[in-house]
Amino acid sequence: MPQDDLKIGVFICECGTNIAGSVDVDSVVANAKKTGNVVYSTKSRYMCSEPGQAEIKKAIKEEKLDRVIIAACSPRMHEPTFRECVASVGMNPYLVDMANIREQCSWVHMGNREAATKKAKDIMKAYVARARYLQPQEEKEIPVERATLIIGGGIAGMQSALDLADAGYQVYLVEKEPSLGGLMSKLAKTYPTMDCAI
Amino acid sequence: MMDVGRHPNIKLLTNSKVEAIKGYVGNFDVKVLKKTRYVDETQCTACGDCAEVCPVVVPDAYQQGLSSRKAIYIPFPQAVPSASLIDMESCLGTNPIACGKCADKCDKKCIDYDAKDETIEFKVGTVIVATGMDVFDPVILEEYGYTKHENVVTSMEFERLLSAGGPSDGHFIRPTDRQRPKTVGFVQCVGSRCEKIGKPYCSNICCMNTIKDTLLLKDHYPDIQAKVFYIDIRAFGKGFEDLFKRSKEAGVQYIRGIPGEITEDPKSRNLKVMVEDTTSNKIEEHEFDMMVLSVGVTPRLDMPEVQQLLTLSKTPDGFFMEAHPKLKPVDAPSTGIYFAGCAEAPKDVKDSVTQASAAAARAETLLSAGKVKLEAITSTLDTALCRYCATCSRVCPYGAFTVDPKKKTISYIDALCKGCGTCAAECRFGALTMKHFTDEQIVTQIDAHLAEDPGEKVIVFACNWCSYAGADTCGGARLQYPPNQRLIRTMCSGRVDEKFVLHAFRKGAPMVVVSGCHYVDCHYIDANRWTQKRVEKLWDKFEKWGIRPERLLLEWISAAEGQRFQKTMQDIEELRKKVTKEEIEQTVKILTEEEEKDKAKAKKKQADSPTKKKS
Amino acid sequence: MPETEEKDFKCLRCSAEFKLPYTKGVMQERTCPKCGSNSVRLDRKKEKGAPAGEKK
Repeated sequence: MPQDDLKIGVFICECGTNIAGSVDVDSVVANAKKTGNVVYSTKSRYMCSEPGQAEIKKAIKEEKLDRVIIAACSPRMHEPTFRECVASVGMNPYLVDMANIREQCSWVHMGNREAATKKAKDIMKAYVARARYLQPQEEKEIPVERATLIIGGGIAGMQSALDLADAGYQVYLVEKEPSLGGLMSKLAKTYPTMDCAI
Repeated sequence: MMDVGRHPNIKLLTNSKVEAIKGYVGNFDVKVLKKTRYVDETQCTACGDCAEVCPVVVPDAYQQGLSSRKAIYIPFPQAVPSASLIDMESCLGTNPIACGKCADKCDKKCIDYDAKDETIEFKVGTVIVATGMDVFDPVILEEYGYTKHENVVTSMEFERLLSAGGPSDGHFIRPTDRQRPKTVGFVQCVGSRCEKIGKPYCSNICCMNTIKDTLLLKDHYPDIQAKVFYIDIRAFGKGFEDLFKRSKEAGVQYIRGIPGEITEDPKSRNLKVMVEDTTSNKIEEHEFDMMVLSVGVTPRLDMPEVQQLLTLSKTPDGFFMEAHPKLKPVDAPSTGIYFAGCAEAPKDVKDSVTQASAAAARAETLLSAGKVKLEAITSTLDTALCRYCATCSRVCPYGAFTVDPKKKTISYIDALCKGCGTCAAECRFGALTMKHFTDEQIVTQIDAHLAEDPGEKVIVFACNWCSYAGADTCGGARLQYPPNQRLIRTMCSGRVDEKFVLHAFRKGAPMVVVSGCHYVDCHYIDANRWTQKRVEKLWDKFEKWGIRPERLLLEWISAAEGQRFQKTMQDIEELRKKVTKEEIEQTVKILTEEEEKDKAKAKKKQADSPTKKKS
Repeated sequence: MPETEEKDFKCLRCSAEFKLPYTKGVMQERTCPKCGSNSVRLDRKKEKGAPAGEKK
């Protein structure tokens, strides 16, 4: 179910001229303000910069934002940055989403400001629509039992076992045959050193 | 080996088998069956008195069956643990009246015929699979006459014949007359690079192994004439070319051509081959006292056991599949499981040791942290909606689901889920929801994009790792394309539900593109195979409904293929222009009708189901 | 082992028609030799020998 009482903030990045050069950022901001549930929208020269991030944090606190959309570069670039940014003021990092209007818009429609702006608005609106369904997610951490099972007591299994055991971890080395050694123990000599295999 | 046997941190379980592994990264419960040796390995001093009195003689597997051992035996002199064991299948009987000679002889009284197998249980955080390989059995290659001609041996048997600890005590002899051969021929690629027998891959080690063998021969017996028949000599490792050169300098003759057949002279028991030397294009005949088949590496026959224990996958060559062939060559697709040695691919000793240390380091990364972060974006299961059809367990690349349709039970371990969302796309009952990429979230994005001028827009589903990244690469290179596409990101193309595609068309999209990783790049093992199956099914449905299948495209675009992304978008825009308004209207009508039919069907089914249950 | 045979395929992106190896039950990455698309569909009509009566 969409949550209709949400307060969504939309932050548009100019990325210097990278985005602003092909997209009319002011008109995207104006459009965002008219989009359902959006209570706050602004632009910044560089959203990922310290001042840009400070603006996001301030708005989250002052406007009591529930969801944040950053229309900027690819999430593959700065999603971790903005997740950290919102988390620092107590927002669940999965409640921020990035609308990619740089790599997939301003940079690929450079001579076509009108169409690029139209597309940027669509992308922004699609993410605002999606934001109404965003839920906080939890990154679970589970303990790791400090022991390793190694299946096979040939040269590979033995090497792994020694490395881990020397590092101080408990190793269980399981070998099907009655002795360690595997296939290598059957070799007379091994290359490139031409020495004994055992 | 000794170091492993006496290390205080290594619990060594030989003669043992892993029976069960339950759980997931950080928390595996392991059950091991330790088969009894009938000899107390902590007491046995490996004096060998027992074997001396044992009356049973059987072939010795360690010596490739070229010599014999007793029913009570030490596997080989340097064995670890250094203790005897009884091979109960050949022992005369557990009843001491039947024989009991070894128990009588044993000074320390460490032989117990009634000893029982033991089950040992413990918990580990990580698992290393170092199960090794099998050596190719050349019996099926009848043309080489292995086992028919006694003087044809495998490279493994040759290894034992040459070993100081071998069956002939280091005297190099041939099987038929126990005389030292004067001419030895080696045949390369036996069980490798052979499509005919399903072994198309190079076994990696056999070229160098033969070069080593010829050098050992020449070192010990400079008068022996050695010839090697090969397809290519692959001596690519450090110091390898040098050995190859030394072998040639020592007088070993290398002939490029593989003999078609080995025949035996019944009198001399010598072996004859006809071969075409492809460097001179001449047919030659060669005669040898002995021939060695340089046998390849094959996956272990008992691999399926370990495969099932850990739900691992195999590559087409039959070896275990790594998480990524280039970037994660040591990791199994499931977190916390690693490969070392030939289990993953044929390797020589050096590479096995290298990978083994890498596997140890990979395991240590988790062990030293003491904790592991799980994927937050996973599927969730609503058991109330589940009908136990087992589709999810069939499509999940990580084996996170276990379904019993008969007993109507389902178990789902979300710690195993990596978040591709294929299960949610395939579940017909809505029992599975993909967090952060829910049906509603994706559908609402489609709606937003198609709210205005839908006829001008192409909906492109793109997977995070490849095609979405490929679009980014395209942008990074400023490669221009028409502004009519609207991308919707999913983690994997496997997430793209049939209903998303239909929804987009119903909302007036002229075209829909489903894009993802090339087969080899899929970040969720093989989840994108299900994408393809789904799209193929949709093409069939469209045809049936009278919608042009050409309006739904499937495109694999890697993260590096920015140009490919550009060209795809350009081509698609041309195709979009050809979709008329009337055609779109017609499609919307057809799909809306189909949806109504489906709804009516579902309603009817629901109304019928209580009565059905009664009967 | 399932049998591999050459079958007729059609590219939905550029309409090229071509033959590719096909093994029943085995998934394969298929690429159009002309335009590079993966929208490669088994051409069942051609197989049955029925005339391709495509709706315009």
